[in-house]
Amino acid sequence: MKEFAFFPGCLIPARHPAMEFAIRETLPKLGIEIVDLEGASCCPDPIYFKSKDKLDWLTVAARNLTLAEDKGLDLFTNCSGCTATLSESYHLLQDDELRAQVNKRLARIGRQYRGTSKVRHIATVVRDEVGYDAIKESVIRPLEGLKVAIHYGCHLLKPSRIMKVDNPDNPDVMEKLVAALGATPVRHRNWYLCCGKACQTEDLPATMMRDLLTTVHDENADVLGMICPTCFGQFDHGQMKVGKQFGMDFGTPPIYYFQMLAFAQGVPYEALGFERQRFKPEALKKYEGAEIPV
Amino acid sequence: MTTNPEDRGVVRVDFAFKRELAEKIEGDLASFCYQCGACVGDCPANTYSDGVFNPREIMLEVLYGLGDELLGPDSVIWQCTNCYSCHERCPQEVKPVEVIISLKNMLADRGMAPPAAEKVIRTFLSSGRTVPPSPAIDKQRAKFGLPPLPEVPMEEISKILEPDEGGTS
Repeated sequence: MKEFAFFPGCLIPARHPAMEFAIRETLPKLGIEIVDLEGASCCPDPIYFKSKDKLDWLTVAARNLTLAEDKGLDLFTNCSGCTATLSESYHLLQDDELRAQVNKRLARIGRQYRGTSKVRHIATVVRDEVGYDAIKESVIRPLEGLKVAIHYGCHLLKPSRIMKVDNPDNPDVMEKLVAALGATPVRHRNWYLCCGKACQTEDLPATMMRDLLTTVHDENADVLGMICPTCFGQFDHGQMKVGKQFGMDFGTPPIYYFQMLAFAQGVPYEALGFERQRFKPEALKKYEGAEIPV
Repeated sequence: MTTNPEDRGVVRVDFAFKRELAEKIEGDLASFCYQCGACVGDCPANTYSDGVFNPREIMLEVLYGLGDELLGPDSVIWQCTNCYSCHERCPQEVKPVEVIISLKNMLADRGMAPPAAEKVIRTFLSSGRTVPPSPAIDKQRAKFGLPPLPEVPMEEISKILEPDEGGTS
C-alpha cells in the first residue's frame, strides 16, 4: 500500500459526502492508503478568500501543507479548487522572500513551512500510482456501452506549469480513467469551456452554462463524467436552474468519477447517494446484477 | 487617472496605484505585458460579455496606472471567471488572472468586495470552512458511515491572520 495524506477540503465532505464515501471505498482497493490530517482548514478557496487577501490566502494554505509535512507524506486532494490553491501555494512558496514572510506568521503557532510535501490531484494519484490497467482489473461490473461525456473543468488543468496534471489543450486522463471502467468516453464540443461557477457576477455564467449544457446534450450521452465538485454543482443544481431560465430541457445527469468507479467495483447503486442528485445517473442501474465473478 | 482639461487630454500615470498593486503577490507582473492579446482568444468572460471584459485591456489600464477605472464600483474585473486560460496562454508569464485578483484585493481593502465574497470570508473566519458545519451535514455523513466534520483549530487560524507588524496586509 502507498500512503498519501488526504485533503478532502470543504465542498465534498460537507455537500457531497457520497463522493468522499466513494473515494474511501475505492482507493484502498487500488492499493492506496488514505491518511487523514488533523486540524486542516479550508484550503482556502481560490476564488473568494483569495480575492480578499492573497497573503492571508497563502498563509492558510501553507499551514495546511505543514500538516502533511508533519506526517512526512505527499498530499492528495479530491477537489480541483483545493488543488489550485495548494499547488499554487507550493509553487509560490519556492520564492525565498515569500516563504520567509509566510513562515514569520506560521512561527506564531510554532509551525514552519518546509516544502517537503508535494500536492497531487486524486486523478493523477490513480493514473500514476495505480495505473489504468490496475483500475480495469478492479472492475467487476464493466460499464460496456455506457456513453460518458467528459467535462474536465478549468482548475484541474490550468495553469499546466503549476498544476502538472495533463496537457490542457488535449488532455486524456479522464477519457482513459472512464475507458478503464469499460465505458465509452466522448468529448463534447465545449469541453474546454469554464462552468462559470467561479465568476463573481450573475448573468454571464448562466449563458455560458446554457451553451455548455447544449453541447453536452447534443452528444446524447448517458451521463456526464465529472472530476470537479464545483463543476458538478453547476451541472446538477445549476442544470435545473439554467434549464428553467432558458426554457430548455437538457437532461444529462452528472456523475462524479469516483462514484462511477465505486459502482463498477461492485458498490450497490442504492448505496452511492444518487437520490440526492437533481439528475440521477439511472443508466447505471442496468449494469447491476451483471457482475462478472472474479 | 487624472485628466485635467488644462492638461489637454494628457494622461497622468497614477504611480501610487501602481505601487500599491505591486505590493500584492504577483500584482507587479503586468509590467511584462507587451499587449499581444494571447489572453483574449480563450477568455470565456470576453466571449460572454461581448468583449466588455478584456484581459489585455485591463493589463493596459494597469500599465497606464488607470486605477480609478478598475477600482470603481461594479468594476469590470468581477466578470473574470477565474478559468486561468490567460495564465496558460500568456507568453510573458504576466498571469493576467493573478494581476486581476491582486486588483480584487485592492477593492477588498477599500471595502468593495461583492457581498458573496464577504459571506464566504465571514464563514471561513467563524468555522475555518467555506461551507459552515451543521447537524444536517453530519447526519448526511453518518448515512455513509463518515464521522462528523472535524473542528478546525480557529485559534491557530486567527493568529496567523493577524496583520504583520508595520508590514503589508
